[in-house]
Amino acid sequence: MDAFLAFLTVFTQPELLLLVGVGTFAGVYVGAIPGLSVTMAVSILISFTFSWDVYPAISLMIGIFMGGVYGGSRTAILLNIPGAPSAIATALDGYPMAQRGEAGTAIGITTVMSFFGGFIGIAVLALAAPLVSDFALKFQPRDYMLLAVLGILLVGSLSSGSLVKGIFAGALGIAIGAVGRDPLTFTERFTFDLSIMQGGISFIAVMIGMFGVSEALMQLHHVDKTAVRQKISRIVPSFSTIRKHLPLSLQTSTIGVIIGALPGTGGDIAALMAYDHAKRVTKKPQYPFGKGAIEGLVAPETANNAAVGGAFIPMMTLGIPGDAVTAIMIGALFIHGLNPGPMLMIDQPDMFWFIVGALVTANFFMLLFGLTGIKLFTKIVEMPRAVLIPLIMLLSIVGAYAVNNSITDVYWMLGFGFFGYFMRHYGYPLGPVILGVILSRLLDDNWRRAIISEREDLGRFFHGIVTSPLSLVLFIAVILIFVSQTPLWTRAKGKLLGDPAEKVKQ
Amino acid sequence: MSRIETEHHDGTSDATPGGYEGQRRPGELVFGAVMVIASLVLLWNAYGISGFEALSAPGSVPMATTAVMAVTALVIFLRDLRLPRVAGETVAKDILPGPVLVIALMLVAYGVLLKPLGFLPTSALFLIAALKMLARRGWLWTIGVSLGSLLLIWIIFRIVFTVLMPAGIVPEAEAIQAFRNLFAGGK
Repeated sequence: MDAFLAFLTVFTQPELLLLVGVGTFAGVYVGAIPGLSVTMAVSILISFTFSWDVYPAISLMIGIFMGGVYGGSRTAILLNIPGAPSAIATALDGYPMAQRGEAGTAIGITTVMSFFGGFIGIAVLALAAPLVSDFALKFQPRDYMLLAVLGILLVGSLSSGSLVKGIFAGALGIAIGAVGRDPLTFTERFTFDLSIMQGGISFIAVMIGMFGVSEALMQLHHVDKTAVRQKISRIVPSFSTIRKHLPLSLQTSTIGVIIGALPGTGGDIAALMAYDHAKRVTKKPQYPFGKGAIEGLVAPETANNAAVGGAFIPMMTLGIPGDAVTAIMIGALFIHGLNPGPMLMIDQPDMFWFIVGALVTANFFMLLFGLTGIKLFTKIVEMPRAVLIPLIMLLSIVGAYAVNNSITDVYWMLGFGFFGYFMRHYGYPLGPVILGVILSRLLDDNWRRAIISEREDLGRFFHGIVTSPLSLVLFIAVILIFVSQTPLWTRAKGKLLGDPAEKVKQ
Repeated sequence: MSRIETEHHDGTSDATPGGYEGQRRPGELVFGAVMVIASLVLLWNAYGISGFEALSAPGSVPMATTAVMAVTALVIFLRDLRLPRVAGETVAKDILPGPVLVIALMLVAYGVLLKPLGFLPTSALFLIAALKMLARRGWLWTIGVSLGSLLLIWIIFRIVFTVLMPAGIVPEAEAIQAFRNLFAGGK
């Protein structure tokens, strides 16, 4: 009963309802405007909502998050630029549909299917999270450590081409997170004897720099490009179209939730796998896949929104984020004094149910804003980048400053912004850096706890891993990711399966 | 399959990290070398935290991660050495073109001026200069849009989000107080 009341918090407080609505609205447009991303928006917003109460702050950010995952599909359809990683697969068939003049239909189907997928994800979250968190109480420190490593590795290996660069980025993030005085022994780490380094580097500064300033600098390369004007007519899809794709959307939502719930994998992978699944099960699509098949739109869009609910499962129950966006959400929870992990469900079950309620609300708002306001939408998307870019930079600076009222944070933010700019140019993924920074403390603490409980004996530590089924599974997964990058494995895989990477891409 | 056009796959979107597979971009080698050196410096620094004192010492995880950084940076660097350069790209044109460099310098200048000059004047200067350069429109338009959006940002963040930025030379608090008094007096 308490859970139900907590669930209803958002609906009973007009202020929170309004904030979720505003957040979702902003999220849809932030996701849709080329040059703005959800990661950027949420990182900047964390700093502004820093002084707020936890409920309003979380309401706003959940709205942005939910709206943004959906909003990324708009640019994918209209401009062939995925606004978010999770919209990559959407572009495959969405853009050809827009070229055919069916942009409205594509957006309509995307909206309804995102709504549908979103609900399934949230339902699974509500049902599964309490169970997972019960189970997570049995986790040993070493399991947490392995999970954190696995999460960073997965984000590094799946989100982009080069695993080596992903591992480098993840390790860099962990190192950044370790700067300052060690919380257990008070020893200085990476401070170079400078007093400003003792407090560590604010992860918000890192986040805003990497996702705000570096992206804005990137956009300077395209400052003269204008948005393509698309004629969008009818947008609400017919009921028969929806009914026809219901079975497929159920399957792909399931894929989305499961993939989203795996630590380290988020909406992007879910969408690609769902797309692949749709291609295999759809016998006679009206248009072939890649040429504007509706199925090719239904699958990724249900899956990536279902993955939102899925991604909240490890995030809330284990404290392990699925991708850069959830990593930033974890950062938001941390900042408001919440500690995502199994204890959250025990200490503050209200908070969990409140978040579920906010997600449901955001999902409704997403449907509403997705199907209306097309005129406004086309106007906003045409906002010139020459104006947008300086404004993003200004907001990034204000955001970095606002958290600690410290000018040092502004310098850190700018420094990481410039650094991230080069990382982007040279193909280093930025997601693992953020994940590393967020998980640094958890990884360090749990490693030390684990090794101390084994009396500093590596042999006993490994014995512990081998004798616990859970640790063993996690350990094998970590090893497999490494092995999968060695030339030996590539050759063996090539012989056995052909090239599966090519299969997914096709 | 139809290729996704990601505007010159250069990492503009989070979805598409830049870089070219099987080729190296101008400056990539230098960046790689800097990463190797930086990783080694950090590794040395991490070793200095607690050495090989104990597995649970505060320096263990930093040492492990910086070692991983050094190894991966070296692998990346050695791989880049063998790759051919991307034809037709130069640092000045594709990596650090003029506008990017100028804006970056303006950001640094912003950081330096923020404290002594205050948020409002610094931001106004920054926006006017950046907009003039990027949009290449008339002064009236540039100043109007800059000051208009700055005012909007200031109202939203100062009043809604209650973010306090350095006031510098502008008597911000006094102005707000005078404004409040005006309304209070009217009642």
